[in-house]
Amino acid sequence: MEPDASIETSSMIRVAVLPIASIPPLLFQDYAAMLLRHHTVSLNSISSFYTEHQKSPFANQPWDSGSLRFKFMLGGSPPSPWEDFQSNRKILAVIGLCHCPSSPDLLSVANQFTAACKSYSSSLVQRCFAFCPGDSQLEEESCKGSNIVLFPPADRQTQEFHLQTMVQDIAASLLMEFEKWVLQAESGGTILKTPLDSQASLSSEEVIKAKKRRLGRAQKTIGDYCLLAGSPVDANAHYSTALELTRLTADFFWHAGAMEGSVCALLIDRMGQKDPVLEDEVKYRYNSVILHYRKSFIQDNAQRVSPLSFELEATLKLARFLCRYSTYSFMQDFCCWTSVHLDVFKWKIFFFMCTVFPYACIFIRRELAKEVVELLTAAADGATSLIDASDKLVVYVEIARLFGALGYHRKAAFFSRQVAQLYLQQDNKLAAISAMQVLAMTTKAYRVQSRASSEPSHDDGQTYADGRKMHHYSIVSLFESQWSTLQMVVLREILLSAVRAGDPLAAWSAAARLLRSYYPLITPAGQNGLASALANSAVRLPLGTRCGDPALPFIRLHSFPLHSSQMDIVKRNLAREDWWVGSAPSGPFIYTPFSKGEPTHGDKQELTWVVGEPVQVLVELANPCGFEVKVDSIYLSVHSNNLDAFPVSVNLPPNSSKVITLSGIPTKEGPVSIPGCIVHCFGVITEHFFKEVDNLLIGATQGLVLSDPFRSCGAAKLKNAHVPNISVVPPLPLLVSHVVGGDSSVMLYEGEIRDVWISLANAGTVPVEQAHISFSGKNQDSIVSVASETLKSALPLKPGAEVKICVTLKAWQLGITDPDAASSKGVPGTSGKQVKDGSSPMLLIHYAGQLINSGEPQTGSVPPPGRRLVIPLNICVLQGLSFVKARLLSMEIPARVGETYTKLVQLESDATERVHGSERQSDRFMKIDPYRGSWGLRLLELELSNPTDVVFETSVSLDMERPNNKDSSSHCTCAEFGDPKTRIDKECTARVLIPLEHFKLPVLDGSFLVKGSQNNGNTGGQVLASQKRILRLNSMHPLKVNSLGSGGSINAHDMTAMEVLVRNNTKETIKIDLSITCKDVAGENCIEGDKATVLWEGVLTGIGKEVSPLQEIRHVFSLYFLIPGEYTMSAAAVIDDANEVLRARARTRSSDEPIFCRGPPFHVRVNGTA
Amino acid sequence: MIVCLAVVGHQNNPLYIQSFTEADDALKLHHIVHCSLDVVDERVNNPKKSGPTINEAFLGLLYPTENYKVYGYLTNTKVKFILVTTDLDVRDADVRNFFRRFHAAYVDAVTNPFHVPGKKITSKIFAERVSTMVKSFGLSPAS
Repeated sequence: MEPDASIETSSMIRVAVLPIASIPPLLFQDYAAMLLRHHTVSLNSISSFYTEHQKSPFANQPWDSGSLRFKFMLGGSPPSPWEDFQSNRKILAVIGLCHCPSSPDLLSVANQFTAACKSYSSSLVQRCFAFCPGDSQLEEESCKGSNIVLFPPADRQTQEFHLQTMVQDIAASLLMEFEKWVLQAESGGTILKTPLDSQASLSSEEVIKAKKRRLGRAQKTIGDYCLLAGSPVDANAHYSTALELTRLTADFFWHAGAMEGSVCALLIDRMGQKDPVLEDEVKYRYNSVILHYRKSFIQDNAQRVSPLSFELEATLKLARFLCRYSTYSFMQDFCCWTSVHLDVFKWKIFFFMCTVFPYACIFIRRELAKEVVELLTAAADGATSLIDASDKLVVYVEIARLFGALGYHRKAAFFSRQVAQLYLQQDNKLAAISAMQVLAMTTKAYRVQSRASSEPSHDDGQTYADGRKMHHYSIVSLFESQWSTLQMVVLREILLSAVRAGDPLAAWSAAARLLRSYYPLITPAGQNGLASALANSAVRLPLGTRCGDPALPFIRLHSFPLHSSQMDIVKRNLAREDWWVGSAPSGPFIYTPFSKGEPTHGDKQELTWVVGEPVQVLVELANPCGFEVKVDSIYLSVHSNNLDAFPVSVNLPPNSSKVITLSGIPTKEGPVSIPGCIVHCFGVITEHFFKEVDNLLIGATQGLVLSDPFRSCGAAKLKNAHVPNISVVPPLPLLVSHVVGGDSSVMLYEGEIRDVWISLANAGTVPVEQAHISFSGKNQDSIVSVASETLKSALPLKPGAEVKICVTLKAWQLGITDPDAASSKGVPGTSGKQVKDGSSPMLLIHYAGQLINSGEPQTGSVPPPGRRLVIPLNICVLQGLSFVKARLLSMEIPARVGETYTKLVQLESDATERVHGSERQSDRFMKIDPYRGSWGLRLLELELSNPTDVVFETSVSLDMERPNNKDSSSHCTCAEFGDPKTRIDKECTARVLIPLEHFKLPVLDGSFLVKGSQNNGNTGGQVLASQKRILRLNSMHPLKVNSLGSGGSINAHDMTAMEVLVRNNTKETIKIDLSITCKDVAGENCIEGDKATVLWEGVLTGIGKEVSPLQEIRHVFSLYFLIPGEYTMSAAAVIDDANEVLRARARTRSSDEPIFCRGPPFHVRVNGTA
Repeated sequence: MIVCLAVVGHQNNPLYIQSFTEADDALKLHHIVHCSLDVVDERVNNPKKSGPTINEAFLGLLYPTENYKVYGYLTNTKVKFILVTTDLDVRDADVRNFFRRFHAAYVDAVTNPFHVPGKKITSKIFAERVSTMVKSFGLSPAS
């Protein structure tokens, strides 16, 4: 049984093509390929080489249209026991191929060739073609008598021409030999036997039978030779005779053979015709051939030999005929199989043909397909009873090929698997290789093919699989991947055969596919076995071997971390001075339908990476198997070649998943594509595509795939992360900031003002050309000032350069809404905690490098983007002093007090020596010296509690009010008193006494005290505010009227000079009407009236005065007391033409109401003169 | 006797495959079902051949193999039912009737609101019903 048999095989002359001497295998193939092109030689072309010695037995030879067909057997073949039965099985010619430069001695070549020819006793013509002979070899005489044909060195075309001529010569010689043989056979006759005939000594009956049959057999053989000689008409004549004779002698086997020959003759005769009648005729005759082969089955020698193989061969021939792929390509001839132990090279040709033929199936008529299937099914059934394993193999191979040709890929795969199993039974390396390759062919039908073999379709899958849509291919493969039972068997067999064949890469690939796709169906022990198979294969592979099929782990894209706020990239809007505006989404809405409207890329974010700056990508790995996966290295696979990826190694315990960070540095500008990761695991380097895992996960959700590897590892569900459009831009400047003195939060007590120095360094490779500082976040007004000029003046900031800018911060007041926080402040340790609610303001620095091509107009070219540096100012505001209550105290002070302070007060609370830089001046009002007795002193007592863990010192300072100038930074009129500060220890309550000299009670409205007493639990900030209000009320009182006496004691009957001091506390000039009264002990007015006891000099009533802003005036007068005793003097003033401001300050109820100011009463003791 | 029944989805993905033999020949039956898809595919792709039987879901004998006969049935949604039997003389009418009942069972199984179309049929009730049908298959011609 031979592979690749067809009906026309009977008409082909077998020629053994042998390598002679030491011809290099590649050259042998080359020369052989050249030879194989001449598989058909027309009779026309050989007529010049042909000489008719005798009358040709081929009377009807078609010299015009006929041809001889060769079947070249590369490497030759052993003789067949059926040679007599079918002459085309004989090796009728031997061609040796020799390469002269590699075998200089032509004589030895000739000897070797002769020796090689000896094993082909049936050969009629022998030639040895020697290519490329040297000059000396050409002249050599030794080869003259031998069969060596020297091909002079020439170009390929010439050589081919020579070769053609030589083949024609061989054809002519063969033709003449055939004639000779036929003439001999006709005259003498021969004994023709087959293995089917009894080999033992013939009984007499059988001898007679054999004699009878001899004639028919001879006619059949002559017919064979006619067919080989290209004369179908002659052949047909002989076959007809043979048919008649064999029928009479009941020689069914030879009858079938003759009939087969006659069909071949018929086809050769009608070559090229496609006639349904012819087809029916062939079908009919071949069915009869099959029938007769079956009839010739003899039970006796069924154990030894059986015509079954001929029956099957005939079946396959008919099937092939119906498949109509009778076109002879040289490739097909090439596929001459010497034995079942074929070398790998021929197998490869076979695979090539198998992959080619399916495309031919389009031309097969469907009606025939059914018949072919029936024939093949019958052949497959018959094959089971074949004795010879190699015959069985050939039958299965042929069945597989024919099913493939029909387009029945699954059946072809099934029979290919049978072939592979037969090979595996042979248990040797070559057979294992063949098995492996046959199985590799089936992988396509079973959808388990290696990625290396399905690369083209894969690329399609990648381009189409954009967005959410999956490419059709991958969907189908997911569906078909459910034949897991079959697929696992196939992969296991591939693994087994690859291990046996010693192909570690194929073994690795099969084990990887098995493990990756079917781990849920494999027991932990089996998984371990596969893992060790992977490891064992890897040991035999050279280091750094790549494989197309990924094994474990499963890798999916987790996320692309955005740039940290320290290095945000902002597009530059060249149209504007503030180029960063408009790059961020504008408008009041988070969602704008127009920006969302972009097709397909709507959900794709854009990422910008910078050359030279490390980038990170998060991927998630999963190992759903029961063994530990040790990933030696994993790094991003970058197809755009502009990223240096850094490998990391990771260990995945059984049934676990991990998110890891992969990093790299962009090297060149341009788009970056990251389709997956390169993984070095189990000793082999593989590329894992994200898209595949995505498809797998989609399949898992649809139930198409066995299991979701990430879910089974307990990984969190992840939204499909899409690879964004990543582009790399040229280097940008990179500002790095740190707060001088530590980046931790700045602790400030409420109201505290402090300078913070921020150092900005350019860590990039490009100078900073533009920079702009702005604020964002909450509590922006706590940034008092930023030295942006310092930054501006430092531009351009060269790489490595550093600039320090000063930011003045003022702590805001803690809100009322966090009483808990306030109450917890008392506990040490918690007070320092930063409130991380983002209440701190942020500095935004937009900066950019130079615009490239600043000379050219910027049309079309995208400017390099700028950057944004966000410096969060971590301000931790701590609670300061809290106000408990305020009281007004009045005191009687003995008259001996020499000095009083006139105070307009501001309470300044300071925790430590930190003093804000405003100027303070000590201002003492020591104008008045009361000369006698006690006088009232009013004090404002503030009770302050210190809940913090630091010590506060309070000092009282004077703040001259400037109502129109709200700029709080210019406290130039603040005054600090030099008297000792009040110290408030931590967690203590202290009272601060503020002497109030000029405090005017009438102006101090009731609301303050009420409020003050209610505010006990309030935070200090409000207390401060309240206090300020007191002071304001106080200081805002327009006038201070003091009646002041002259120094020393006062005697009766003496002129005593006195003066009144009036101070204007407002900013406006005030006109007043001053009057002075003096009352005695009884309260009677003693200046006016008829009983006046005091005389005076100067003016006492209706004194019109004008007091300029913040100035004092004195009014001087003299009194002459007639009677010693106690007198009380007081000065009072009415403000003329009071404006609204004054009225507001004085809290008058109506605009007509006079504003009346009165100084404190002044007691005078007048001594008697006696 | 029916040895194997299979439901194959329209993408040639197996939805249900069950063998009814004692022997351990599941793999072989899988292969037979898988191979039969070639023939089904061919019939689906060449509808003109089945001109008179355009509305006929029953595909008839797909192919005989070894000791088995394989019958096919194609629903409107291109779901295929494959039946493998060892009975060599089965009347087409019986097989057709069987397929119709099987189709009804299949429809009941997939109309379960908890069934995801395209997923394998895991319904126990379906399996029980099918196994009852298979058991009664050999008996029905006699009656």
